[in-house]
Amino acid sequence: MQKRCLVKGLLCVSLILGFVGLQRASHSQEKTFTFPEVVGWRQSGEVQTFKPETLFEYINGGADLYLAYDFQELKVGEYSNEKKASVTIELYHHKTPTLAFGIYSQERLPGANFLDIGTQAYIEANVLNFLAGSYYVKISSFNTGPDDREILTAFAKKVSAALGEKGALPSILSSFPEEGKKKNSEKFISKNFLSYSFLHSAYTADYELSGKKFKLFIIEGLGRDDCRVMIQKYLQQTGRPVKDPVEGRYMLSDPYNGKVDLHWNGKNIWGILNESDTSLRSKYLDLFEAGLKKKISSD
Amino acid sequence: MGKKVIGRRDFMKSTLAGFGGYFFLPRIDMKQEFRVVEAKGKERKFVYRTLGKTGIKLPVISMGVMNTDNYNLVRAALDSGMVMLDTAQTYRRGQSEGMLGEMLKGRPRDSYVLATKAHLPSDQKTGLYTEEATEDAFLKKVDTSLKNLGLDYVDIYYHHSVAKRESALHEPILKALEKVKKEGKARFVGITTHINEPEVIHAAVDSKIYEVVLTSYNFQQKHYAEVRSAIARAAGAGLGIVGMKAIRGGNRQTPTVKNTGAALKWVLQDPNVSTIVPGFTTFEEMDVDIAVAENPLLTNPEKNDLETVASASGLYCQGCRQCLGQCLEHLPIPDLMRAYMYTYGYRNLVHAQDLVLSLNLPQSVCEDCTSCPVKCSIGFDISSKIRDVVRLREVPTEFFG
Repeated sequence: MQKRCLVKGLLCVSLILGFVGLQRASHSQEKTFTFPEVVGWRQSGEVQTFKPETLFEYINGGADLYLAYDFQELKVGEYSNEKKASVTIELYHHKTPTLAFGIYSQERLPGANFLDIGTQAYIEANVLNFLAGSYYVKISSFNTGPDDREILTAFAKKVSAALGEKGALPSILSSFPEEGKKKNSEKFISKNFLSYSFLHSAYTADYELSGKKFKLFIIEGLGRDDCRVMIQKYLQQTGRPVKDPVEGRYMLSDPYNGKVDLHWNGKNIWGILNESDTSLRSKYLDLFEAGLKKKISSD
Repeated sequence: MGKKVIGRRDFMKSTLAGFGGYFFLPRIDMKQEFRVVEAKGKERKFVYRTLGKTGIKLPVISMGVMNTDNYNLVRAALDSGMVMLDTAQTYRRGQSEGMLGEMLKGRPRDSYVLATKAHLPSDQKTGLYTEEATEDAFLKKVDTSLKNLGLDYVDIYYHHSVAKRESALHEPILKALEKVKKEGKARFVGITTHINEPEVIHAAVDSKIYEVVLTSYNFQQKHYAEVRSAIARAAGAGLGIVGMKAIRGGNRQTPTVKNTGAALKWVLQDPNVSTIVPGFTTFEEMDVDIAVAENPLLTNPEKNDLETVASASGLYCQGCRQCLGQCLEHLPIPDLMRAYMYTYGYRNLVHAQDLVLSLNLPQSVCEDCTSCPVKCSIGFDISSKIRDVVRLREVPTEFFG
């Protein structure tokens, strides 16, 4: 059966190729990135390119996480100078700026030393990473001595200029309540939020208030029906099956994730995790709703 | 004369058996060691195996904490009876270790086995270490891991992602590993390998330093027989064997395995493998993996599923790169075979065309040679596949829109 399908598929693709092979047309013009020239440095070796099927060859098991964020292509350029110092630039291209933010946010340390390069950058010894639209750029250095920071920053600015795309953080992040939010803790989870396949993607942020730590999240559904299905499945999972759930607030006792309060309105579901204080949970769901309304009115 | 149609049985012969070794091992009537574990009021009976001379007894399924940042999932895994957690310093730039440290607070130290790993810079082209790969650099990595985890010691510290014998035996790292063990920062030391596994495993045995091997091992590997043989030698020498990439094979193979439980069981049919570290990300996947820990024996329908997928993967390039250098025109054959796979395997003509266009191929491709000197390791007619796929250059992109 499977073989028959495969043969059919091969025939189908062959027919397409055969048909269009007769036509002549100009090739697509793909946006190309040229690694910049940097004074005092020369590019060593050829630029390496990795696709989803070969990313594994470059970062091994780490590739799985990048693939979960719709990784498209990686270009790696290496530079060296006369003092035997070296700099490596890795340019990860993801399908959308949101997905690039997602993988960037997975690796960003909230307490890092942030810089104004691209959408956002941070630097530490021998490493400078930044986000620029749909690109996640990782720059690392070796043997750069006391000039390390200056060198990394110079390279980052050159790459950022060459990309020509500053980008912006996802606008939905502005709807998270400010009070108690840990700076730069926002993340985008591309799938399996809360480790459930039916809750696809979500944005999260960490909070700390009077010693209490909790997490807020928002799921942007494809529409009202998409959200209804998610709520329905989540209620089923938590032992409260409802045939036709309605928009509004739900307090769930998740066997794995603990108490989860959430609110469904239209194509959005927002909620709070890891907080036992009922009044605090309500307060934050309301603050979130107000933030969302404000965002929608300013869009 | 009509084209010869190859039957399924013949096809299987020319792929699975052709790869060498037995695809399915005869069922071993060894006494399986079962342990009853109490998980949230429910009793489960897991198959346990011993990790070589380390003496650590583990359920055949452990957790690879690579792709999840949800500590509730990790906690559920431990509460369900899993014992070993496998992470790495590179996962989320240390945040995976940090998340585990947070989650493990308050748990008795002897109730879990923690394995982590680090690697040092190496030359991407040769796979060999650069001058940055020093003993001190590795020791710093170990200290960073312990700090991230908030632990005094880990159970296994791996020299991570090794692809060459020379790297496995890189003296500064061997010295560092000995020191790590002597100082009690790791109970045992090991090595991990994702490619060129047999060479690395043999080197690990020869080193007499490594005690555990974490290796890629799956039913889609073209060279699984060699991996299996190297594993047997290592196990015979007392090294503990942990399997990884059992399901997806690091995304190198196609198509995607749907029956993940069967893929895990295929690895566990090898009695020399003590446990596997699948990187599940959902509770549903965790339940599938737990079921394997309860009964790792392959059923006949599962065997059929695996045979079907393994046969299909033989239709596409296996990425062995043995063709490199054989083409008189120096064509990038592995890339072109990838484009072929995009076209016929994934039906993603846009992706395939993008790739073909990016290769800067000469105007005339595979038209000037009277015969093709390229010998593909799995017998593909390379020139015919190349001629086929380069036609994508002629296709207007809008056609795929």
